[in-house]
Amino acid sequence: MAKVLFEWDYSSYPGAKAYPNLFKPIQMGNLMVPNRIKYAATEDNLNDHNGFITDADVAYMRSRAEGVVGGLCFMQGVYMDEAGKGQGYVGQAACWDDKYVEGLKRIADAIHGEKAIAGFQLMDCGRVGAVEVESGHGPSTVPQRLRIFKPMYEMTNAEVKEMVQQHVDAAKRGVEAGFDVMEISGIVGYLISNFVSSYTNRRTDEYGGDIRGRCQAMVEIIQGVKEVCGPDIPVGIRLCSEELLNDVKGNTPEESMETYKIAEEAGADYISCTLGWQESIFPVISRDIPQGNWLYLAKRAKENVKIPIQMAYRLFTPDKPDKAVADGGLDIWEICRSMIADPLMPKKVLEGREDEIRHCVACNLCLARLFRDAPMTCYINPRCAHEHDENFTPKPAEEEKEIMIVGAGPAGMECAYVAAQRGHEVHVYDKRGEVGGTLLDASRAPYGDEELMTCVNYQKTMCEKAGVQFHFNNEVTDELIADEMPDTVVLATGPVYPVIEDSEDRDDVVNVLDVLSGKAQVGETVVVWGNRKPGIGVALFLAKQGKKVTIVGKEKSAGFDINPSFKWRYMIYLKQNGVMAYNDCDIEELNDGEIIVKTYDGYRFPVKCDTVVVSEREANESLKKIVQAEGIELFVIGDALVPRNLSSAVHDGYRIGLRI
Amino acid sequence: MPVNAEKEITKLWRNLHNAQSEICKTFYRWREVAIEVAGPDVKPLDIALKAAEMMGKDMGKNFLPRLNWLKGEETFMMNLGRALAGIWVTEGGTAMAEKGENPGEIFIRCTRCPWPTAAKEFGVPMEEVALTRERLFQTILEDVNVFFNINLKIEMLKAIPRGEGEYLLKLYKEE
Repeated sequence: MAKVLFEWDYSSYPGAKAYPNLFKPIQMGNLMVPNRIKYAATEDNLNDHNGFITDADVAYMRSRAEGVVGGLCFMQGVYMDEAGKGQGYVGQAACWDDKYVEGLKRIADAIHGEKAIAGFQLMDCGRVGAVEVESGHGPSTVPQRLRIFKPMYEMTNAEVKEMVQQHVDAAKRGVEAGFDVMEISGIVGYLISNFVSSYTNRRTDEYGGDIRGRCQAMVEIIQGVKEVCGPDIPVGIRLCSEELLNDVKGNTPEESMETYKIAEEAGADYISCTLGWQESIFPVISRDIPQGNWLYLAKRAKENVKIPIQMAYRLFTPDKPDKAVADGGLDIWEICRSMIADPLMPKKVLEGREDEIRHCVACNLCLARLFRDAPMTCYINPRCAHEHDENFTPKPAEEEKEIMIVGAGPAGMECAYVAAQRGHEVHVYDKRGEVGGTLLDASRAPYGDEELMTCVNYQKTMCEKAGVQFHFNNEVTDELIADEMPDTVVLATGPVYPVIEDSEDRDDVVNVLDVLSGKAQVGETVVVWGNRKPGIGVALFLAKQGKKVTIVGKEKSAGFDINPSFKWRYMIYLKQNGVMAYNDCDIEELNDGEIIVKTYDGYRFPVKCDTVVVSEREANESLKKIVQAEGIELFVIGDALVPRNLSSAVHDGYRIGLRI
Repeated sequence: MPVNAEKEITKLWRNLHNAQSEICKTFYRWREVAIEVAGPDVKPLDIALKAAEMMGKDMGKNFLPRLNWLKGEETFMMNLGRALAGIWVTEGGTAMAEKGENPGEIFIRCTRCPWPTAAKEFGVPMEEVALTRERLFQTILEDVNVFFNINLKIEMLKAIPRGEGEYLLKLYKEE
């Protein structure tokens, strides 16, 4: 009889009817898991630099535990060596000594407090480790492809055995801390994956050679960890189903499937199916990859092993994993970034509140932050990693006010529902007939940008539920402000687009929004003025139509406002679509059929074009003086304050929504 | 104001050449500093070779993200040869990679090199220039070899500073 930790009955919930396969139990080892949902172990950099658990991390985990509604909730992987060679993130939790058990117990207790199953992960970061020391360890001394990572040195045979023992000792501490499931991380370039891969393992001792030899360290770890965990604690492993390292002679997909079989033989109770390494040259999880793209890998894994298969990777909505479970191609839906964006995502699915889910937009800012030693943050969830901070929690307003928000874009909408939830009377005005602001147009850019609209859809629902009143097709004027005389005005009008000198009456100079919305006529040879994200988006939009596009922008590099974990995708797309970018430049003159580009150091050259698209932006000063003259409390947010990105708009809106 | 293309290109070209000539001069200025700091017991050639090794090691790291085994060994070798020739071109030389007669063999030919001219200004022996160039390319290959698990060698067959009219380097795979 399998062990049951907490009783859950989902039968009365709408989500269990809509997605019956996600809310049915599954046995993992000797443990019965009530549903098919797992918050996958995710680094958050929230712990202290000595590896001790902080209040911030406990609160972060508690909210994710609430989200999985009885399912699996894994804390971030712990590093296990005192030297810190296995530490990949400055705020990574440690487990190389008994002194860490007390803090780890706080996490296990927080997860149990939400009646969820607490998962513990052992993670030596190997090739992507040594974040605080000079060099890392690995099966062989293979140079780093990416300079951001530290040099690697080959472990001696004795060091390998010591590393295996470190995993076993850490597992013992995890059990002592009260965790219910044990997981070994062998993915994305971490140590176990380094041993398994032909790319990084060139050893000739028993830990190298053919695929069996390369898996020997993994086998010893699984067996050792199983022994200390006993029969009631399932032991699983995360393994690459495809390394995507063919360009550097990594494992073949067949070899990867062999690693799955070997892990199963060694006693693993489940496998979490992943793909790609951090140094793979192929995209895996960015917005340009379609949802559900990788489910075939889970299916293939299931064809090769009998133990349960789990998978995350571009599965942001419940429909696809539910179907995959029904079809026998998946056992457990892992969730990572979607629960960074909305910790209660699966709970909302269960309760039939899918419209209240704040969906991840797959921007990878969370990852970019981790690699730059910064605490976790989310592009569109301002509360992320601030769950412990009272200042980030909406509280009832001390004085209820009538608030006029000008602009129904992401900044205004975020502010609107937060303020309304706090008890204010909120009116949102927009000259357009619908919500979304500039995002309506920006989301028409190619390569998955339509997913950005999920942010506005969420905000619209929240506004409606909080009683926000909308006034569409209503441009705010000084007369309207004087008539309404609200207590507070929030200007979320979006940016203004500067006019190129002498271009006022020209129909060959058009605005980025008009181009994306199809209002403006664009010729075949186009110059886009502005090399930030809006410029790149419209350049790709036009290049996809077969137009010859050149970007001219003042920033030193194109897309400097896009986080590095995503920017590389855009750079490849610009190249693939034949878009030339002149950075550190400006438009000096606008002539007939050409512009004169001037570089930062004074060189001038002509670029032929029949249309110039303006994507440069400036802060919007309109209405500011009028509001101030009336003595009304004023806030300016989003691109109206300083043109930036969607994230800044949402975060601005949230913070001002809390402050009013 | 219309663009005067000739003027713009001339200005740009002149500045590029100035920047290129500074590369060699900066190297030799640092060589003088290192010789003085190291004292009379250290041979200038040893200092220059050590510098070539350290620079080559670092330049090799830049090669790793740009090389791709998926394109096949022949293309891989040609791309590597072009990247090595590209170092000379950046410095103001004229160089190209050519397929050799045998498979797995690439020749890098440089017919114009700024290093001997700069070396003369600083009183550097010509043989040192040749040896330093060869060492630089050899150490670039070190990380490339380990990373891709291959065994490539590079050998200098001719050198301008030796009065042979051109540099000729053979890049080949050692079985």
